[in-house]
Amino acid sequence: MAEVNMPRLSDTMQEGTITRWLKHVGDEVKRGDVLAEVETDKANMEVEAYDSGILEQLVVQEGETVPIGQVIAIIGSGAGTHKEGQHEVPVTRRSGQTPPVAPASHESPAVKQPSVFAGISTQQNGVGANRIFIKASPLARRMAEEHGIDLLQVKGTGPGGRIVRDDIEDFIEQRAISPTAAAQPQPEQYVRVAPASVPEVSMADAEVVTLTSMQKTIARRLTESKQTVPHFYIGNEIDMTEALKLRQDLNVALTEEGIKISVNDLIVKACALALEKFPEVNGSYKDGQFVLHKKIHIGIAVDVPSGLVVPVIRDANTKGLRTIAREAKVLGAKAQTGKLTPTELDGGTFSISNLGMMDVTDFVAVINPPQAAILAVAATRKTFVPIDDQPVIRDIMHVTLSSDHRILYGATVARFLKEVKRLLQNPFLLLV
Amino acid sequence: MAEISFRQVLNDTLREEMQRDENVFLMGEEIGNFEGSYKITAGLLKEFGSKRVVDTPIAENGFVGMAVGAAMLGLRPVVEIMTFNFIALAIDEILNHAAKIYYMFGGQTPVPMVIRTPGGGGQQLSATHSQNLEAWFAHIPGLQVVAPSTPGDARGLLRTAIRNNNPVLFLEHLALYNAKGEVPEGDYTIPFGQAKVTKEGKDLTVISYSRKAAIAYEVASRFERENKLSVEVVDIRSLRPLDRETLVNSVKKTGRAIIFEEDWRSYGVGAEIVATLQEDAFDYLDAPIKRVASVEVPLPYSKPLELAALTGAQELEDAINDLAPRRRRR
Repeated sequence: MAEVNMPRLSDTMQEGTITRWLKHVGDEVKRGDVLAEVETDKANMEVEAYDSGILEQLVVQEGETVPIGQVIAIIGSGAGTHKEGQHEVPVTRRSGQTPPVAPASHESPAVKQPSVFAGISTQQNGVGANRIFIKASPLARRMAEEHGIDLLQVKGTGPGGRIVRDDIEDFIEQRAISPTAAAQPQPEQYVRVAPASVPEVSMADAEVVTLTSMQKTIARRLTESKQTVPHFYIGNEIDMTEALKLRQDLNVALTEEGIKISVNDLIVKACALALEKFPEVNGSYKDGQFVLHKKIHIGIAVDVPSGLVVPVIRDANTKGLRTIAREAKVLGAKAQTGKLTPTELDGGTFSISNLGMMDVTDFVAVINPPQAAILAVAATRKTFVPIDDQPVIRDIMHVTLSSDHRILYGATVARFLKEVKRLLQNPFLLLV
Repeated sequence: MAEISFRQVLNDTLREEMQRDENVFLMGEEIGNFEGSYKITAGLLKEFGSKRVVDTPIAENGFVGMAVGAAMLGLRPVVEIMTFNFIALAIDEILNHAAKIYYMFGGQTPVPMVIRTPGGGGQQLSATHSQNLEAWFAHIPGLQVVAPSTPGDARGLLRTAIRNNNPVLFLEHLALYNAKGEVPEGDYTIPFGQAKVTKEGKDLTVISYSRKAAIAYEVASRFERENKLSVEVVDIRSLRPLDRETLVNSVKKTGRAIIFEEDWRSYGVGAEIVATLQEDAFDYLDAPIKRVASVEVPLPYSKPLELAALTGAQELEDAINDLAPRRRRR
């Protein structure tokens, strides 16, 4: 006999309402079958069966709200089939619902949980140590903890649905894929965001391409970012004449070492130094709190054949240009051959999407959650600018910073961009 | 380095140790005039005489007991038990005398003796002549048990066994006697309690010893040639003392392990290794550890049945494919 619990379907979910049962008592269910639809704080979602058998009992009726971890149904051999409405498992309901008819001697269901648990518990709403069973290898559990991954969001592909290292690595890779709007044309028409409002795509005269799992993740995360993160955009123009000159001098001097510093390396360094001064920009919004990251890890969006990846240069503020250039080159090459490891993709605190080499005049990027900002870098162009009222040709680069308005405000971001500009226009500052 | 057979290496090493130390002498059934059932002692009677190469009656209890006494009085006997299966007759001498005397009599006298004996199946020698009883002996504190898989290791470990002051069970394998391998020059020894990573890999670890470690190496090499999986092979070499650290480090790296053993599965060497790994590498395990061992029956005489009962390369290959992670490690 297996209990079906109210799953935790999002980070912030405390309870769920059964909106509809799709299986009924006596139905045969297979692992993976959708049992019910549940309304959470965020969305309507589906509850899948983790076990196969006969649905013996529906403990929670349609319309009822129960905390996560609560038993909502029983799957068994069929021997213990109960008619709907006969509640033999004690249920805690919210006030206003039908009171449970649990015998007084019964312990709270919270203490009668299976013996193996995911490390997830909720203290809110008096639920106490209510936990959910998740099958995962010890290694997968340890990795999930190290990377701050909620095992409930990971699909297990090991024997019996066990979550194994492969699954955690898949998850980390997909999480690290950046939704950078303009860098790669996204086949968004295949993403059903809100079915009712999207006109049907005509399949006539069209080739239907199935998305790879990476592309699906990009699509999902882009949608999530644009729907949940209030973006705002601030642009600036940076005079790169001095920076380009410095870069040229450095590269001539570094020829023998085989190191070539790119414009992007200079921008990475400038952003990293500016982030030291503006820690909010290097932050995250999480559950009503601002998390200010102490480490500055800069993600660089890299265009790859099947989509987009964002490998991370760790502690970029403490690294010299030489190191940044070397690491960026290695990461870029690994990205092209699909050899980036989860560690190289995980943990970014700020991202840069550079389309400068693509002759782009101006663009904005989509934030890569949980980061708070992403810098879109357009091409550097020869432009007449007035200096002492005379037109002078300078190398001008347009940048746009997309920011999360829950944590960042216009003035902060403007000052941050001004600092990036100051550093790039006085590029010797990048060397010290 | 010269390629030498296991058989030749054992013969050479015994000779060298007898030349090196006049206290070293050999005892066993048919080892002198007949030069040994498997010719490990060929030529030694002629070279060293009947005082140092002693043909014994067919009485394991008696001559192992004599060896214990000789060792207590300062000699270094190297006893051959014709096959591992006959050791049952001498168990009392090994368990209650050889392994206990140094401890029970306050360290007054060590028992520096070696018992060499070939085990293993696959030669159609049937149920009473094909057994792998190493777990019995690896269980006993006071004994040391080693089981090399290559001629090079055999030389280094036999030297350590003979020069060591503890009673040592030195396990040979019938199917390895003709195996050739590179044997380093010089008077090297291999300390007990040091496993060897014979092949580095990333996807999973195969832990083995003796003949099965040699097979594991071949299978892993084939997987590498065919670019299938990256399999790490650890040859434990020394069953007691066991090198926990090397095993644990390998599994920490790969997250997955198979124990490949020729003995029976229940209560076997694999069981001990699995226990060790879950104790020291629990948080690194990505899948239950597999044991690939022989079928739990007395080994049949019939060739097809013998093949079916003994575990081998195919069983290991199946287990590797079954256990392999979905993603290749690079």
